[in-house]
Amino acid sequence: MGYFIDAARSMARSMRTVLRKPTTIQYPAEKRDQGPRARLTFALVHDEHGEEACVGCLMCEKICPSRVITVTAGDKRPSEVTGKKRGFADDFVLDMNACIYCELCVQVCPTDAIVMTQDHMVPGFSREDLVLTMDKLYANETETTLSWGRASNLLEMQDPKRGTEEDRAATKQRAGAKPAEAEAAKPAAKPVKPAKAAKAEAPEAVVAEPAKVEAAEPAKTEAAQAEASEAKPEAK
Amino acid sequence: MNAIHPIVLHGLIYGGAIATVLLTLTAWGIWFERKFAGRMQSRLGPTLVGWVGLLQPLADAAKLLQKEDLIPDQADRTLYLASPPLTVFFTLATVAVIPVSVDVAVANLPIGVLWILALGGLMVFPVWTAGWASANKYALLGGMRAVAQGISYEIPMVLSALVPVIFAGSMDVNEIVTWQAEHHWLVLGPGLFAFVIFFVSSLAEANRIPFDIPEAESELVAGVTTEYSGMRFGLFYMAEYLHTLVASAVASALFLGGWNGLFGLADGIHWMLAKTLALFFMITWVRWSLVRFRSDQLMRLCWIYLVPMSLALVMVSALWVYYEPMLGGH
Amino acid sequence: MTLASAARLGVDPHRDLTDYDPEADLMVLNMGPQHPSTHGVFRVKLYLDGETIVRAVPYVGYLHRGVEKLLEELTFVQATPIVDKNDYVSPMTNEQAINMAFEALLEVEVPRRARYMRTLFAEMSRISSHLLWLATFGVDMGGALGGGTTLFLHCFREREYILDLFELVTGARFHYNTHTIGGNRHDIPAGWAKRVHQALDLIASRVDEYLDLSTKNAIFVARTRGVGTLPAKLALELGITGPILRASGVDHDLRRDAPFHAYDEIDVKVQTEQAGDCLARAHVRIRELSESIRLSKLLVDGLPEGPICGGRPIKNPTQFKAKDGQAYVALETPRGELGTYVIGGGGNKGASPYRLKIRPPSLHALAAMPYLLVGGTISDAVVILGSLDPIMGEADR
Repeated sequence: MGYFIDAARSMARSMRTVLRKPTTIQYPAEKRDQGPRARLTFALVHDEHGEEACVGCLMCEKICPSRVITVTAGDKRPSEVTGKKRGFADDFVLDMNACIYCELCVQVCPTDAIVMTQDHMVPGFSREDLVLTMDKLYANETETTLSWGRASNLLEMQDPKRGTEEDRAATKQRAGAKPAEAEAAKPAAKPVKPAKAAKAEAPEAVVAEPAKVEAAEPAKTEAAQAEASEAKPEAK
Repeated sequence: MNAIHPIVLHGLIYGGAIATVLLTLTAWGIWFERKFAGRMQSRLGPTLVGWVGLLQPLADAAKLLQKEDLIPDQADRTLYLASPPLTVFFTLATVAVIPVSVDVAVANLPIGVLWILALGGLMVFPVWTAGWASANKYALLGGMRAVAQGISYEIPMVLSALVPVIFAGSMDVNEIVTWQAEHHWLVLGPGLFAFVIFFVSSLAEANRIPFDIPEAESELVAGVTTEYSGMRFGLFYMAEYLHTLVASAVASALFLGGWNGLFGLADGIHWMLAKTLALFFMITWVRWSLVRFRSDQLMRLCWIYLVPMSLALVMVSALWVYYEPMLGGH
Repeated sequence: MTLASAARLGVDPHRDLTDYDPEADLMVLNMGPQHPSTHGVFRVKLYLDGETIVRAVPYVGYLHRGVEKLLEELTFVQATPIVDKNDYVSPMTNEQAINMAFEALLEVEVPRRARYMRTLFAEMSRISSHLLWLATFGVDMGGALGGGTTLFLHCFREREYILDLFELVTGARFHYNTHTIGGNRHDIPAGWAKRVHQALDLIASRVDEYLDLSTKNAIFVARTRGVGTLPAKLALELGITGPILRASGVDHDLRRDAPFHAYDEIDVKVQTEQAGDCLARAHVRIRELSESIRLSKLLVDGLPEGPICGGRPIKNPTQFKAKDGQAYVALETPRGELGTYVIGGGGNKGASPYRLKIRPPSLHALAAMPYLLVGGTISDAVVILGSLDPIMGEADR
């Protein structure tokens, strides 16, 4: 009967699958190729100066649809590297228990501070294990592979002018400007010489200053005060 | 020891040994089924517990043992508690008459085939009482379906089991195997159709896909075993595999020549094991490839197709046996 | 559906129970919210006479999460990841629907490349959804431990290829948040088109395997032929669309009849069947799968260059505001017509919608349950429910 023939056919199909290699990837011994844009857990990064990139603007907290981010903005104080006043975040808590992995926080960050990673979050045994504190987030920067997606990359990709005629013309112009830039670099080389000359002068000035300083120190002693006062007018 | 009758002693020792072997085979049959099913579905089966997952059955048993033993409040306690062990008991009792090697059986009953078929019929009872006693509508439905299926498919099973009896002229299973050793395996000849019908009926009796309506997970949660937890559920589970193995053993003895070897190689228990396991492999293969029948289609298959066919087969084999010597023998 | 209209159509959803002693002969069985095969949390109360269903009463709402109300609190830019989870089996079409509605309301134009990308993603999502449907249909019929699972795992193996492709583009395997108001957020990386072709060729070659285990299998056909026949008139009255309607003989497909995005530039071959039973629905969906494979290949080869987002990229939750206005947008998901109706002028100074109503195709499909289940057995009930392909996340929102 038809049942037997079709049963035999189904069974032949199953047997053919037995002879194929299984498609199982035995995680965590083997890892899957996820691609560079994978969004799995989060990291906070440092900027190009080596300082925390997060300025505590709270954009990520405002945009999160699940309200899992809590940022405590710190006082605006001068940066330790550039000296300019900037914002800081005193505390940053991301509750992975409720995160929906939508990448909106990454999209809106003005300083590319929060990024997602290509490595899975380490599983835990309690709810607290899944709450990413600031330490864990900064640790993830070095302990995990960061994903491709940053705010600036995403915004560039989503730019309405990208790939349009306008954009292409602008790109050509930029490309056409390259030889012009090279020429501009040559005249820039001239200022380099004066710069070098300035630099050449500067060491002298620098040398002169220690001379002044050195001259100033012995000036403390009464004996050298007369020499110092004589040395100062000479340096001038 | 002298007070015990030799037959009883023989039964105890051989019975104990065969039951132990059979239960071990069941446990590792579960492992084999899971690995094979995995491969059919393009995945690995159990791999972590022991080398290639060989200790998985022990892990399963340990898991089931440590579960909470729930007995529903409104359940019929006696029947509820008695059903799981009874299924295992009746299944194991069937093996008593099957010769595992030349003249080696727990009990060489002259009515061996009747014993097997009678116990096959009895096996429906604990399944049904489990469904009734669970005080659960899903279980009740499963039990009813099991009864309908079980008693219907007994008829083709009995009739197709008669074919070896007619050919060998005896209901003693050992005699049947001996006849096959002297002549030819029954499956290679007129017994082929009888073998197929017997195989299909055994699948139905064992509630295996494509006839697993009584335990259809997608429809009845877990069918008859819905309210059972822990080792009681484990007993049902084990009974199902045990029944499959026993049915394979019976089919090998009746149709495939039992302990008789091929190509003149030595007879013995290894052949019996090989054939039983080969049939178990086939049953597993069928299970993981096909979808299930609906109850009425199942009944239709039995009553409209299998019963007339097996009746016809009985008549044909009787005529064959009668007229064969006159036609110059085979 | 009133009893009057049911009488007109000649369909009786509630068989006259006066012949029976009230509840004496009938057994009430709850195929409850927790059940291995009700496709999510769905409850059907069955009145059984032996094993025959005399009456079936469906109850929905177990997965109601208040999505429409939630979206009145959140702003337009935050809506996409929430709506992803409605029809959780083909998320791309959900995102596409809501963003199309917002674009209609806010009058933002979508660039050509984004339109093509959205259509391509929708078609690939259709493939993935139909594969999942076939997988769960097999489980309904063959059981969690048995041949149905073999079909299930084969289909899921193929579906993984599509999910991997989406992961390369968006970074997420399943809930993408890749559509945005004005277009898409992620562009296609280099070498993706080639991988798409490879994956789709593989799936096309494996469709034959599925047929061996399903529609060409006599047991499968015996389980589905003549079961759950839905007359076309009843389907139209209930508002059923999609493959179910097409399997009942009505030639209606929004992709061809009311084209949106890139569908006006490609030719969609609409698959129909006349029988209206579960087997017909299975045939329609499997043929739609093959058709979607063909369309995806066309789209991926013909992707135009250009920007992928016509509106401003998201930088601020309240950057899109609508003082008033309404928009209704309908698109063809794997389940049927998904409609989104949005009224602007809500909270957050107009940055949230005032009201967002989603018209799910699955809810209308479930409305056919009382009509289709009567007269069958429980086994048929499971098969019928599987063939209607309801997704409770969408039906309940």
